[in-house]
Amino acid sequence: MKEDMIKKADELLEKALFAAAEFQQFDQEQTDRIVENVFKAGFNNRVKLAKMAHEETGIGDWQHKVMKNVTATLMVYDNIKNEKTVGIISQNEITGITEIAQPLGPIFAVTPVTNPTSTVLYKTLICLKTRNPILISAHRGAEKSCVETARICYEAALEAGAPEDCIQIIPAGSREFTQMIMSHPKIALILATGGMGLVKAAYSSGNPAIGVGPGNVPVFIDVSADIPFAVSNIINSKTFDNGTICASEQSVIIERQIEKKVIAEFEKQKCYFLTPEEIKKVESIAISPDSGSMSPFIVGQSASIIAKRAGIDIPEGTKILMAKLDGIGKAYPLSVEVLAPVLAFYSTKDYHKAIKVCIDLNFLGGIGHSVGIYANDEKRILEFSKLMNAGRILVNTPTSQGAVGGIYNTLPTSFTLGCGTGGKNITTENITARHLINIQRICRRKPNDKYFSFDLAKYFDESLDADIIMNEYNKNH
Amino acid sequence: MVTFKHYSTEKHLICKFSGRLDTQNCLSLSEEINNKLQELKQGQGEKDKPGEKIEFDMTEVTYISSSFIRICLTTFNQCQKENFAIINCDPFLKKTFKIAGLDDLLPVS
Repeated sequence: MKEDMIKKADELLEKALFAAAEFQQFDQEQTDRIVENVFKAGFNNRVKLAKMAHEETGIGDWQHKVMKNVTATLMVYDNIKNEKTVGIISQNEITGITEIAQPLGPIFAVTPVTNPTSTVLYKTLICLKTRNPILISAHRGAEKSCVETARICYEAALEAGAPEDCIQIIPAGSREFTQMIMSHPKIALILATGGMGLVKAAYSSGNPAIGVGPGNVPVFIDVSADIPFAVSNIINSKTFDNGTICASEQSVIIERQIEKKVIAEFEKQKCYFLTPEEIKKVESIAISPDSGSMSPFIVGQSASIIAKRAGIDIPEGTKILMAKLDGIGKAYPLSVEVLAPVLAFYSTKDYHKAIKVCIDLNFLGGIGHSVGIYANDEKRILEFSKLMNAGRILVNTPTSQGAVGGIYNTLPTSFTLGCGTGGKNITTENITARHLINIQRICRRKPNDKYFSFDLAKYFDESLDADIIMNEYNKNH
Repeated sequence: MVTFKHYSTEKHLICKFSGRLDTQNCLSLSEEINNKLQELKQGQGEKDKPGEKIEFDMTEVTYISSSFIRICLTTFNQCQKENFAIINCDPFLKKTFKIAGLDDLLPVS
């Protein structure tokens, strides 16, 4: 059995390596032609793939999945289409440095069940743009839609002259096989999007990995904010695909002085504040008591379905279940990430207390990911930003769509959001094509005048300390 | 696309390729090489693999596809290990074989 898996892994990687060898001979024009064709094929199938993913996973909303597919094709393509990813990508006569882009080699892409087709589309486009073959691991809960998305991309890539096997799909298999591929010596990079377990496995594989983990996004509504605007944006974001985006809002934090206004606005916009008893009922189905993390059975379900499963009555048309909490951590299960329209709500006595709650929430499973602030006070926006540990601080912006980039801001459009070292990631950036190239630098001789005009003998004189040496070193000759 | 030079006295076959060896061109190439190898086998009688030295001359090749890399590997597996070589690659092709991991298995020069 294990021998069969090793043989299968070797075969997949041999094909990928041969594709990589062929691909590295392509120029920018040939590469761009392939990317354009794949973008068009993915875009033209956006509705079919969205419906397929929705039907197969039972998660989210098919119309919103269409929008995700649009973002993963149109927005991603628009973002990368003019980028230089082949050969010389920059030349600087002043520094004497010329940069050359080289592909990495076979990339192993892991896909989440929450965004299966859009993640496959996005990862395929950025891999092809950088001439890297991609091996896609289909999620067991979304296998059919992942396979179909990869098939559509592969056919379009071949039609535009791409190498055979530049896209390979690995049907959902055992965890052991996935780990075998991850640690295969011929894998150049792992692009892991998913839970902490998966990301940890990717980083432990011995191969380079870009893994991004979960979020727990707090959103602060400042007294200076436009409250109806803030509430409407939060609702649109949190209900998008029933809250399946890891950058979606997880808690709203306010000062008590605006509590009445904010609650009234949420209620006006069809959100329901749970009673303490109802909070307990929702907790019991939303959070696993053993792990303290969200239950997969409520991921991407609507507020009405969650309420029904929890055995509570809510008004018809309710968009979000609001849980007013007094604390953070294990004793308050809904203070953790819930990828569904359930939102924690904190009302604090003053601004400083509110910010401290934001810090606690930020560090509760979502370090380095994203945070949001609604404010019209630049000083507070800056202060809040410096205190958070987040790759993206989204100002007056729905965090789901804002973090992904390209819609509400100029961040690169991405479905893999770096969380920095706090989230055990290598970067806080939105992962895109430029992260999938090795940049070689031709360094032409440009002698450092300061170094060469300095009397090197002084380094050997122990009586000269750092201040004296620095003074001498920086002397303008 | 390919011309064969067979030195029967020296037991030496050179397959000289030219142009772009893309997937399309490799379809007929694969068959031609296979036929030639079968011919050699029959000439040698009972032996399983041709005992002759076989070289792929890449002097005039400008591009190789993954299909051609596969042809190299298949040919290598059909020959006696030490008797197969890929010769006269330009540096770019040499690197391409390197990336494919082929030069770990067989001589590429």
